[in-house]
Amino acid sequence: MLTHELTGFVTHLQTPTEPLRIRRSGELAWPDEQEHASAYAADPVGYALLALVPGVPPSQRARVLLRILDSSWAEFPVETRATLNRVARVLTLGLPATACVPVMLALRHRRANHKHVTRALLRLLLEHPQADSLIGSHRAVLVACFEHALGKATARGCAKSLTDDESTVDLVRPLLRFAPSPMVAIDRVRALYTPGAAGELAAQPPPVPAPLDLDLDGERPAVVTATNRGDIAATLVHLFRGGYSADLRLAVDRMVTAAAATLPAFPGTLALVLDQSASMRGYGEREWAVLSQAVALREVLARRCARLDVVSVGGPDTPRGATDLASGVLDALATQPDLVAVISDGYENTNPGDLARVVATLPRIGVTTPVVFCHSAYSHSDDLTLRRPAPAMPQRPFWHQEDFGQLLLWLLVQTRHPDSGRWLREALIARLSIVEESVR
Amino acid sequence: MTTTLELRQPAPLDLTGYRLGQPQRTGRLTVVPLFGPAYPGIGSPAAVKLARVVGYGKCLMSNAGDGVAIVPLHVGYIQDAAQNHALCRSAFLAPGQELLFADACCVQQSQGGYISDRGHGLFVLPVELRAAALDLRGVENYSKLWPAITALNTSYGLPARGHLEQVLTRQHAVLTQFQSRLELLPEQLGALLFIGECLAGIEIAPDPRYFAEMWVALVCFAYGPAARHAGPVDESVVPYDVSTVDELRLALAEDRRAVAEQTTRWLAEAPWQVSSIEETERFLDLRLSTVHGDGVAGQVVTDGQRLVYASLFSRELA
Repeated sequence: MLTHELTGFVTHLQTPTEPLRIRRSGELAWPDEQEHASAYAADPVGYALLALVPGVPPSQRARVLLRILDSSWAEFPVETRATLNRVARVLTLGLPATACVPVMLALRHRRANHKHVTRALLRLLLEHPQADSLIGSHRAVLVACFEHALGKATARGCAKSLTDDESTVDLVRPLLRFAPSPMVAIDRVRALYTPGAAGELAAQPPPVPAPLDLDLDGERPAVVTATNRGDIAATLVHLFRGGYSADLRLAVDRMVTAAAATLPAFPGTLALVLDQSASMRGYGEREWAVLSQAVALREVLARRCARLDVVSVGGPDTPRGATDLASGVLDALATQPDLVAVISDGYENTNPGDLARVVATLPRIGVTTPVVFCHSAYSHSDDLTLRRPAPAMPQRPFWHQEDFGQLLLWLLVQTRHPDSGRWLREALIARLSIVEESVR
Repeated sequence: MTTTLELRQPAPLDLTGYRLGQPQRTGRLTVVPLFGPAYPGIGSPAAVKLARVVGYGKCLMSNAGDGVAIVPLHVGYIQDAAQNHALCRSAFLAPGQELLFADACCVQQSQGGYISDRGHGLFVLPVELRAAALDLRGVENYSKLWPAITALNTSYGLPARGHLEQVLTRQHAVLTQFQSRLELLPEQLGALLFIGECLAGIEIAPDPRYFAEMWVALVCFAYGPAARHAGPVDESVVPYDVSTVDELRLALAEDRRAVAEQTTRWLAEAPWQVSSIEETERFLDLRLSTVHGDGVAGQVVTDGQRLVYASLFSRELA
């Protein structure tokens, strides 16, 4: 899958960009269409799955949705069509409804009338959790898309029959067979063709529900404490505080096993440079929080990596000592890994700049193993300004157990093993299934 | 590389047994950890309490510990809605003893209220103020440090008033990061602290526990502010000119050696000329002395020739 320039294309997808725009002329403004077209041509399924990589913004996910819907799938094998259909479904239901609008409009302007386009257009109207509010704000566009999906005469016939009590038109074949909930579908099509109905609702608009969670972000606490950042870290905090008991130790093992079962596998060799210096202990209300999440990640990785080599910087029994990340990376490289991941709070003091300098030197001496930086943070709002020892390194923060899945996918993206494309593809297909579970 | 501590001054002090560790650096602050023989029997600084403020500039200190306490030089106390205070000198406190420091100073111009015993934060005066504070020991005037604080604030680009809170409290989140940016090592009982190439201070505690208890107050508040305002560092990344991983390891090690030698050179070249050491207090065999000199000031505790405690700082930064 996109083995050539996979990391670069994912980085492109994760870069914030302008949303798709339809000009008054009907022309679509899509500056990076060529990149998407090339990637899709190289591997349609692999390309589609990349939209599920965490951190890809809605603007890029909308582009992927448009790219896969705009083309014919007729020449593809059954499995390919099935996977594209699954991705199109979760993207349609997972993007904010307003982000889907330019996609659907573009498909209409391009006269794309494949069956999968019909399904996607109707899915937006009949299944999307935000469709009710979209009908209120984008009625004309939705009517146009609805009529493009069913054909103008059929669409209007369906609408008329829903407002005419004595109609005997069969709604199942043209419309309701696409609707998982016929009553919701009937209400929405009625509202679509009844101007003012949405206006009445707008007097006291209900809260707009969130779309499908494509990033599997999970729920995060509004107020972060050392022990509400996931079960594993919470239990480790109690152990580190001195509350050792066999029950806590067993609980950690049980929690790690449960968490690992839901996470992507890393079928390669991962070398972990684990910062266990004094600062990882933290202080005040954050004491033990950063270290516990780093250790939780190490435990989970130990179960999901084909081989995990851990190089401790400081420690290892208790957090102590200075932070020499550069030597840690060199030790990690000696294990011949597919990827080196540095897990640290980001305070490098022996000496500041050494990590950046060593990592910058590696390609010049023929070492192509990627080295990435994983910030162990306390919360989503940590100020990392003084904690980026090598700004040019690929880096990603994590603070909650729910971040582990995203982090593992990111590690797979960074890996340059010949099979890494396949590893990522398998992980994303598994993730697709998890996302689908939430709408079943 | 020199790993033993060889101070040209102040003499005559026996520094046998002290050795230097690998320097740590963050921004413009370099810390060389110091290891050496612990001196037994000195109480914990945590047992030294500000019992109460009996009047502006008058702090009643107590020792709730089991051993004789050495009051950390220039220790200060912060509390919301009360006038923050700092001491201008060190002292001995026997176990259970109370001692009035009538020559303490207020560090929060225009703030009323006495610090109560409901909990307060600990700091050590910023290094730029320490020479002025030491010179004003014995002077009973609660506002005596305000001109120096005003000058410090001005040099930091802050409003010109004798309000140390502008530095300690409003920059608290940044300053407290120094305790993580630089890390205390096991058995460490002292440190040499450099701001840029300037030897800013030498802090030696009687034992590792004493130093650990003072570490945050020293690194975050005594030396952190000066480091923070010392200007940016060159963060350009220049790859090593090597061709193998082994060569890279050697180059990295050589770099580390060069940094250690550089700090040793800065120490040797520091313009600290001690002119006299004046005994101030005694407790059994312990002597508290004030160090006078060009470029250096501070106080030390000795037992005969044996160094027990030192808090020496540069006058150049004042």
